[in-house]
Amino acid sequence: MKMRRVLMVSAVIAMALALCAGPGLAQEKVIKIGALYPLTGNLAATGMDCKRGVDLAVQIINGKYDLNLPFAKTEGIPDMGGAKLQIIYADTQGDPKNGLAEAERLITQEKCVALIGAYQSAVTKTASQAAERLKIPYVCSDSSSPTLTERGFKYFFRVSPHDGTMARNQFEFLKDLEKKTGQKVETIGLVYENTEFGANVGKQEKEYAKEFGYKVTADIAYPANSSDVSSEVGKLMAAKPDVIMHAAYITDAILFTKTFKDMNVVPKGFLNMAGYIESDYLPSVKADGDFILVRSTFALDLAKKKPLVGQVADLYKEKYKIEMGENTARSFAAPFVLADAISRAKSTAPEAIVKALEQTDIPGDQMIYPWQGIKFDPTTHQNIYAKAMLVQIQDQHYYTVWPWEAASRELVWPFPAWKDRK
Amino acid sequence: MRNITGKQLIVGGAVLAVLIILPLLIPPFGQHVVILTLIFAMCGVAWNIMGGYAGMFSFGQAAFFGIGAYTSSFLLMTFNVSPWIGLVAGGILSSLMAAAIGYPCSKLRGHYFAIASIAFAEIVRIFFNNWEMVGAAEGLTIPMRQESLANFTFNSSKLPYCYIILAFVLFALAVCRLVSTSKMGYYFRAIKESHEVAQVLGVNVVRYRLYAIMISAFLTSMAGTFYAQYILYIDPASVMVLAISVQIVLVAMLGGANTVLGPVVGAAILIPLSEYSRAWLGYKGTGFDMIIYGVLITAISMYRPNGVWGALAGVVRREK
Repeated sequence: MKMRRVLMVSAVIAMALALCAGPGLAQEKVIKIGALYPLTGNLAATGMDCKRGVDLAVQIINGKYDLNLPFAKTEGIPDMGGAKLQIIYADTQGDPKNGLAEAERLITQEKCVALIGAYQSAVTKTASQAAERLKIPYVCSDSSSPTLTERGFKYFFRVSPHDGTMARNQFEFLKDLEKKTGQKVETIGLVYENTEFGANVGKQEKEYAKEFGYKVTADIAYPANSSDVSSEVGKLMAAKPDVIMHAAYITDAILFTKTFKDMNVVPKGFLNMAGYIESDYLPSVKADGDFILVRSTFALDLAKKKPLVGQVADLYKEKYKIEMGENTARSFAAPFVLADAISRAKSTAPEAIVKALEQTDIPGDQMIYPWQGIKFDPTTHQNIYAKAMLVQIQDQHYYTVWPWEAASRELVWPFPAWKDRK
Repeated sequence: MRNITGKQLIVGGAVLAVLIILPLLIPPFGQHVVILTLIFAMCGVAWNIMGGYAGMFSFGQAAFFGIGAYTSSFLLMTFNVSPWIGLVAGGILSSLMAAAIGYPCSKLRGHYFAIASIAFAEIVRIFFNNWEMVGAAEGLTIPMRQESLANFTFNSSKLPYCYIILAFVLFALAVCRLVSTSKMGYYFRAIKESHEVAQVLGVNVVRYRLYAIMISAFLTSMAGTFYAQYILYIDPASVMVLAISVQIVLVAMLGGANTVLGPVVGAAILIPLSEYSRAWLGYKGTGFDMIIYGVLITAISMYRPNGVWGALAGVVRREK
């Protein structure tokens, strides 16, 4: 009995101590920015990818680097007396109600002057709603649901392209392809996982297929994280589409790739997204991923035409010992956009930051993306220059193939049959 | 019928006073934790009516929670119906669903009832996930409307939400107490002990089981409507998942099933623990908060298998 009491008391003390050892003390002259990501749960790996991107961006802003990025050459933000950014992270566990709660906590208790992140669109929805209520700017560079910028929010800004733009870009590519090579595509097969992300992509693709004059011969929604997808792939095969477009997170992307190969599905091309470009995809499917096209906002080979990309990617690899991926690259943008706005506003007052954000005009050469720059639409607050490019997997690496002027390798089209490969 | 003693009245009054004053003194995140605690307390009390008293272990409460959330939101967004009417409509719809599913399950007991309830909730979730009219997988984003009690919307402060859900919980407790001290409550307990004996004694087992499920569904659905009006975004992945059903069972079991106040105590321990541990430790992404949570649940089930409330009540009795 005595032993048990001792055990219980020590357990309680240990817990109390653990809980008290919360966030560290703030330093002088820091600008606190709250970042929400799924740091635990089934998207924890993705959340950590995003966190590393933010960490590297802040390191560059706060430190001295010979890079053509905003605030790289100076320590901190000169117009704010050299103030440095401090990121306060919060774990959303991928749950919208946690997004709301953590956003409020970051604003009211941690006194963050702006928020970034969330990755999953459903979580960004509730988190940005909290920011809107509390009148705090929210700069998102990693959620892609079009609905986020359709709400007419005053405090919400998005740097990265949304699913509507990216779906549109896919069809623009097909038109471009026809113009350049005469290869005609007529039918499209859509397959997407049935959560907020996939369903939205499917909807956008259907709309643009109609607008661009393509026939959708298969429209298949399936439950995410399935253990077998042969019936879905069977349905796709029966419809014989020229091009297959698949929207999925990482686990489904791997399973589908294997099933495509097993069932010998050979369309003219695959135009896939999301899971197909996560850092775990290629190590697990290896050469079977070759020749699949993936939409992306970033690729390491951009370095060939833009040395800055290579410099940042090297810095990243040196720090974390892994290659910089798309999620990391997307999250990398938000701290710069905020630092730029705060610097021009010369203030951390929310209204002043929002006003400065509305006038944001960061030229493309100061960013690691293939865009013309960052400038927000006055009503939706979506970056008007954001768009997707297409990368193709060749020899187990991602190479930019479209837009043609950004390409570092020649596009392989149509998709080579599985049996003809070595 | 057991009467409430003076001592209980004083203790109850003191707890209520604390719950009324506490939200005034704490920051918004604290208020959020209070709100979330009360949401799950309400669901726990509702679960207790069918699980604790009538012995039907439901792992499908998320379906009723979700139907409540969806009904009021859908009516509001499509027909501009007040969420307060949606609250009642959702409750009625949930009760009808509960009856429709409860009747064919009336022969199922113990584990089999639990399995059937999981299946039911999953079917409802998948159905909503594919139902275009209610936004399918994209869910519903409830527009922020003018702040007022009639609109069930409060933008500038969380306090009204705190007090509304507090009133809901008091309502649920009143229902639960009424049930537990009435003839119905004794019938429920008789059914829980043995269907056959209850039947022989003249209890209409099928009918009273349905009553228990329907009351439980109605209250759970109210909590769902409140959640939707509070969070303003719902999708099947956040309001109809198994995790919510399990959380509800945990709250009731750890607090003490088969007692009126047990689920409230359970929620008051579990929810703040999970929220504050995430807030303080989650930013590292180590999952340490989950470990603490898990250890505590294990500890309670090992040392206090009858729930925390049972132990607390025991202490009070001994002092007498």
